[in-house]
Amino acid sequence: MTELVRKRFLMRASMLATVFAAVGIAGAQPARAADEVTQERLLNADKEPGNWLLHHKNFSGTRFSTLKEINGDTVKNLKVAWTMQLSGVEGGGIWTHGGLEGTPIVENGFMYVTDGWGSVYKIDTHGGKGLLLWKMDPKTDHDWAGAVACCGVDNRGVGLYNDLVISHTLDGRLIVTDKETGQVKWQRQVADPDKGEVVTGAPLIVRNMAITGVAGAEYGIRGWVAATDLTTQKEVWRTYTIPAKDEPGHETWKDANNAAAAGGGSTWVTGTYDPATDTIIWGVGNPGPDWDNQYRPGDNLYTDSSLALDANTGKIKWHYQHTPNDPYDYDSVAENVLADVPTPNGGTQKLALEADRNGFAYAIDRTTGKFLWGLPFVKKVTWTKGLDPESGKPVEYDANNPVQHYNAAVTPSRENKVTDICPGNMGGKNWPPTAYNPDLKLWYIPVIESCNRITVDVADPAKLKAREFWTGGGPSQPFKITGSVTAIDVTTGKVAGKAEMPFPMLGGMLATPDLVFTGLPSGEVMALDAKTLEKKWEFNTGGGVSAPPMSFSVDGKQYIAILVGQGGAWDKWFIESTPELKRMQPGSMLYVFAL
Amino acid sequence: MTKENMFSIAALFIAAAVLSAPCAVFGQSATTADPTAAGKAVFKRANCFGCHKWHGNGGGGYGGDALSLRKTELTREQIMETVSCGRPGTGMPFFTRGAYDTVKCHGMNRQEVGNEMPQEAGTFLRPNDIEAVADYVIANLKGKGEPNFVECTAFFGDTSRVCDVYKTQAQPPANSDAAAGKTQ
Repeated sequence: MTELVRKRFLMRASMLATVFAAVGIAGAQPARAADEVTQERLLNADKEPGNWLLHHKNFSGTRFSTLKEINGDTVKNLKVAWTMQLSGVEGGGIWTHGGLEGTPIVENGFMYVTDGWGSVYKIDTHGGKGLLLWKMDPKTDHDWAGAVACCGVDNRGVGLYNDLVISHTLDGRLIVTDKETGQVKWQRQVADPDKGEVVTGAPLIVRNMAITGVAGAEYGIRGWVAATDLTTQKEVWRTYTIPAKDEPGHETWKDANNAAAAGGGSTWVTGTYDPATDTIIWGVGNPGPDWDNQYRPGDNLYTDSSLALDANTGKIKWHYQHTPNDPYDYDSVAENVLADVPTPNGGTQKLALEADRNGFAYAIDRTTGKFLWGLPFVKKVTWTKGLDPESGKPVEYDANNPVQHYNAAVTPSRENKVTDICPGNMGGKNWPPTAYNPDLKLWYIPVIESCNRITVDVADPAKLKAREFWTGGGPSQPFKITGSVTAIDVTTGKVAGKAEMPFPMLGGMLATPDLVFTGLPSGEVMALDAKTLEKKWEFNTGGGVSAPPMSFSVDGKQYIAILVGQGGAWDKWFIESTPELKRMQPGSMLYVFAL
Repeated sequence: MTKENMFSIAALFIAAAVLSAPCAVFGQSATTADPTAAGKAVFKRANCFGCHKWHGNGGGGYGGDALSLRKTELTREQIMETVSCGRPGTGMPFFTRGAYDTVKCHGMNRQEVGNEMPQEAGTFLRPNDIEAVADYVIANLKGKGEPNFVECTAFFGDTSRVCDVYKTQAQPPANSDAAAGKTQ
């Protein structure tokens, strides 16, 4: 077509898109009182087995569905029920494409998913098919956000509150959308991309608050967790993950550079909530600059920590730090799964379980923040000989030494500028969520079995600029990286099984009574036996899986849903470790399976 | 022609110009006389800015350390060779079809370069594209100081907030609500 005709066509297409976005393509269902998502319903999310109301399924973060129509006997008959092509695959900033990392939310047969640029799709799943009811496109500023997203164009999903759908955008907004019409009711700038802050996580809804975490520890941010009141539209609290000068913990930043002001500590994975103590438990990422820990002597609280926050005030109740003065980029942003485990003497241990980038799985007493047990869940750990059985700190940790070297032979430092570390800087386990089967007391970790090479570049305060990388070095990939699903028995704190995978696990887990589901970046979605981890079913979606599966039921029938569309940073920064994955193409598709 | 008629004809032209303005995003080169516009288009299309950034300073980070095109001392010919052949042993890919196979690069074929073989770029460029992007680097990046607002909007246009940081670096953030949030 001629240039003029093409322009007219494009303008017309964009006008149609606007109408589409504003009106929706089908009459949405009238709201009913039963569709109001209240705190009472969220607290009892597991009493609605056909629904998936919270990002991690429930406040405890188990990602365990009790639905059992699809089980060890029937799963061999699982097949595609329907698919839906989504969008958001376009690039922006330094990224050539967007991807899908979200967990679908399902309530009463209506599904809510997001694409990497933050568009929200409401899909009617009744009648064995998917029908798009509306799409809310927040018109994310691609270049503003994409230029400072360290690790891809990603959005991990929505939260539900009353008759509203709550979501984030990469450019730092909290968006509140009418559930019935798809109209944006209001929005608020929570993070500031001018400072290098972006938002990729799904909001956690607690009472009338939306809790937001931030990404940007590679860009010299000072991380935080923030709560927005969904009725007043105002911020209730914002807790910085790096203490201010007059706050406890500031003494763990001992440098003369004011490193704390750009000290990282991002919070980009949705946390969990313990209603018994009204405590939000949230993981905190790496310190900045990532690999030059001599720039920031001290333990660098609260980076690489799990934080317990008072839900009312955001005040820190306790913290547990995994890798003090981290020289490896070993974030602790991962979700903490809240599990209650009976003890031999008839008591109950109230655990917070976290699988860290550093290769160790931790059980913390979530009432006190005290270490209970920890163990490596990866095949190879070289940075430390192990954890102190009392404190859980790496055995080489020396509280009197402001700069930690751990196993100095492999630890990146100004003296040892090029080193190979295991696990590599992606982990261990990255953001893809674990799942926990409370009947079997088995906890399933999507593992990246990895080593990589770190090259230290001494951080120069003159180079600290807003929106520019602040990493003190970088990784390269001379080693092949694979993966595994590793199961841990939380009653013993021991590895109960490991299913080797040819590629790193970049999607995450779903547990059902006798199965676990997951996907591979090479396209396969699979079901494993919950006890033996033997593969029971597999389907190749043809697209890189970077999102966790979930399960729901509608019209009395069980479904498994998963978003498929290579997301994250793997294909840009880490692909040399998995050369076979170069064949995977970007895409954006929802797959739904049924018997 | 009366004065009135002249005005209405002028108004028509202005209206036409205004109407066509929103279309400029589909063909930026049409609205600018910048002689390096073609090179800028290549810089974007070939994703040079994915590592070197829009301002060319590159810098360390997850993707390794893309060299600064502002501080480069390479000549036009050396830049063209680097784009064509990549840099062996680094993350800089090659952009010429057949590099190290049908065309020797840095005097080497694929066998001779061995493990240092650069990656193949996502886009192959024709010789005139490579000349254009080298001209763009020479004219707009090489030898320049700190990136600024004018350069940034010249690259991105003004539809994004991506350049605001260069305009407002000395001012408080726009989000006063967030800034007023409690510290903890």
